[in-house]
Amino acid sequence: MVFRNSYDSDNTVFSPQGRLHQVEYALEAVRQGSAAVGLRSNTHAILLTLKRSTGELASYQQKAFKIDDHLGIAIAGLTSDARVLSNYMRNQAMSSRLLYGRPIPVNRIVSQIAEKAQLATQQYGRRPYGVGFLVIGQDQTGPHLHEFSPDGNALEYVAMSIGARSQMAKTYLEKEHDKLAECSLDELIHHGLQSLKASLQQSKTLTPLNTSIAIVGPPGPNESGVKSEGSFRILEGDNAKPYIDALGQEEQTQAQTQPTQQRDVTMQE
Amino acid sequence: MNMSNNFTSWGRPFTDAKMDMYGGDVTQRYQLGAQQMTVPDDKFSEGVQKTQQPIVTGTSVIGLKFKDGIMLAADNLASYGSLARFKDIQRLYGVGSNTIIGAAGDMSDFQHVQHQLDTLITDEYCHDDGHSLGPAQIYEYMSTLMYHRRSQLNPLWNAFVVGGVDPKSGESTLAYVDLLGTTYSAPTIGTGYASMIAIPLLRRLVEDRQEPLNKEDALDIIKTCMKVLFYRDARSLNKFQVATITKEGSEISQSMSVDTEWGFAEGIRGYGGQTQ
Amino acid sequence: MSSIGTGYDLSASTYSPDGRIFQIEYANKAVENAGTVIGIRTKDGVILAAQKLLDSKLLVSGTAKRILTADMHIGMASAGLRADGKHLQTRAREECKNYRDNYMSPIPLKHLSDRLGSYLNAYTLYSSVRPFGISTVISSCDKNGPQLYAIEPSGLYWGYQATAIGKGKQLAQTELEKLNFDELSMRQAVFEAARIIHLVHDPTKDKGFELEISWIGKDSQYKHVHVPAQLYDEANELGKTQAESGRMQE
Repeated sequence: MVFRNSYDSDNTVFSPQGRLHQVEYALEAVRQGSAAVGLRSNTHAILLTLKRSTGELASYQQKAFKIDDHLGIAIAGLTSDARVLSNYMRNQAMSSRLLYGRPIPVNRIVSQIAEKAQLATQQYGRRPYGVGFLVIGQDQTGPHLHEFSPDGNALEYVAMSIGARSQMAKTYLEKEHDKLAECSLDELIHHGLQSLKASLQQSKTLTPLNTSIAIVGPPGPNESGVKSEGSFRILEGDNAKPYIDALGQEEQTQAQTQPTQQRDVTMQE
Repeated sequence: MNMSNNFTSWGRPFTDAKMDMYGGDVTQRYQLGAQQMTVPDDKFSEGVQKTQQPIVTGTSVIGLKFKDGIMLAADNLASYGSLARFKDIQRLYGVGSNTIIGAAGDMSDFQHVQHQLDTLITDEYCHDDGHSLGPAQIYEYMSTLMYHRRSQLNPLWNAFVVGGVDPKSGESTLAYVDLLGTTYSAPTIGTGYASMIAIPLLRRLVEDRQEPLNKEDALDIIKTCMKVLFYRDARSLNKFQVATITKEGSEISQSMSVDTEWGFAEGIRGYGGQTQ
Repeated sequence: MSSIGTGYDLSASTYSPDGRIFQIEYANKAVENAGTVIGIRTKDGVILAAQKLLDSKLLVSGTAKRILTADMHIGMASAGLRADGKHLQTRAREECKNYRDNYMSPIPLKHLSDRLGSYLNAYTLYSSVRPFGISTVISSCDKNGPQLYAIEPSGLYWGYQATAIGKGKQLAQTELEKLNFDELSMRQAVFEAARIIHLVHDPTKDKGFELEISWIGKDSQYKHVHVPAQLYDEANELGKTQAESGRMQE
């Protein structure tokens, strides 16, 4: 086997520049997964994911997972690594409820998996995890969005994207990020879909089949059966359709009307 | 390559042994063909004794809910059997800035619990993330701890009253947990002797009251109860402290006492040096 | 001798023919690329200051703190791989907890430095692990008085009157050496630290940053905390203008 250089064969080797190549390659594994986008306002945190399908007869993958009533994740990268970590997260969340009667603070559960991931960057015989998460949740201190990455970092963002072609989504978010805090849920989802759409290849579009939307925070005008405190939920298929339709119709009429007005009209349908 | 193709002998993937609050490794349950952990045989296990009785004890704790929060009281005595051994023991203890617990029962077990709670609060402090444990969470923790210990047949020999006000929601908590892991919550609470002597008084003065109860009146009620308890409870002391917890914070008073009248006692058979 | 391509630099358990362990030197490279951290020990307390470089403008401000707490009376700030710093905090917390469990008193900083030094050193002894890619400054103030230590990836640790690690180490150290430690109060040190962190930051080359300052001493009731918002704002603003005028003069 030919290595790209002598300092990347395992994760116990620093390069002369003080870098860890194996860890950087694990970050590449995250970029192989399909994109996920997360955003946060003063009242809500949401995730939007792009699901892949292996063919016309195959179902679409699952990209968003519930961890606890107040907490959920979107993944990009190796799904089986995600299963190990999300199983761990569910245990941690459950133990917080059992021991303290408290929904686990979002930053803490993210740090806990980050600490696990860090160990795998420092010892021989284990590879770093090949998956990245966007984690949303609400706790004592409001709604939150965190990114977990295999290098053992867990950081809090107002908006973030991970996965394939996520740089395009990030560019959109960086442009719009200071508007997000005051957004309503529907506006936030709209920004999220715009951002996710930016990551698509030219020929592709967002459809109710390939898109899922996950939310924490009070129910929006299109939602029914959600409790007022707004626990974690995933909208797919028909439930996601109104939001995606709103996105498409707006595009066609963009030239004639203000986007915000148009969105309000279509949302009421 | 000389490698076994029986995958169960390859060792376990990385797991975090700390994940289970009971000290077990939860992930192991999902491990295919994981080797059963064998517990080493303790030759002395037959000789190990669990706590059978308390040694140095505190008597009752009382607590009530008033308009702005919670008030607790406990005297300063720690008895060794019927001997009034220590007369300056504090049985009220602050946990964080919004919770106070009162302890009856074994004082060394109480000290152990204080240390556990200190560790918990320090852990919370080190997170430095704006989250804190309110009285409801501390109560939940103590309930889990007490039930867990009784399930191991090695109880912490106490009855605790937990009082506090959540600084964020303003919600007040007054609750009880004992060595059996029994829990309940009520507007008035008394442990041990107080559950018989003080509770009827507290219910009449607090729960049957029509108008809201202010801090001054609450303190009068507490003093009345402590006086009656001192009259009736042979393991009590007329020197006690009162804890007050409101949304603003908590404080534990200096020791205080109440005026008592013993003149009538001369006529009671069994009092003092009478032999008959 | 050059390290690259010799094969003597691929493991922490390998010496080069001239007796060096290159993997530890490479770990130090990770430290040298990181935002600056400084610590100042004054007569009435110790302060830590960190330059938190912002990798993204989407980060929520005030989160992902670089100055961490290991016990009520112990602060720590690492320069290098952020995740390694978190790992060391967890270890430090355990050490503090064990000490309290055994001795029912807060751990002396000298003792903690020794424990953490040994821990970091253990990661330089085997090929199956890599050294920590961090240097860490730790602070405390208790009945032994104000104390400040810094630990290196090799496990080496020293006590300091003042120290700096990370990118701006050289310049910061020069500035620190000018201070009069006989006179300096903890409050004054906050302002000096803010000024130095702003000074080592080159706004034309470096990405944006957030300043962080913590203290422990009489002013903080002997608890390790980030300095109060009002003092922080004052020090941050003043530090910024002082650094700017300093650069103008050059």
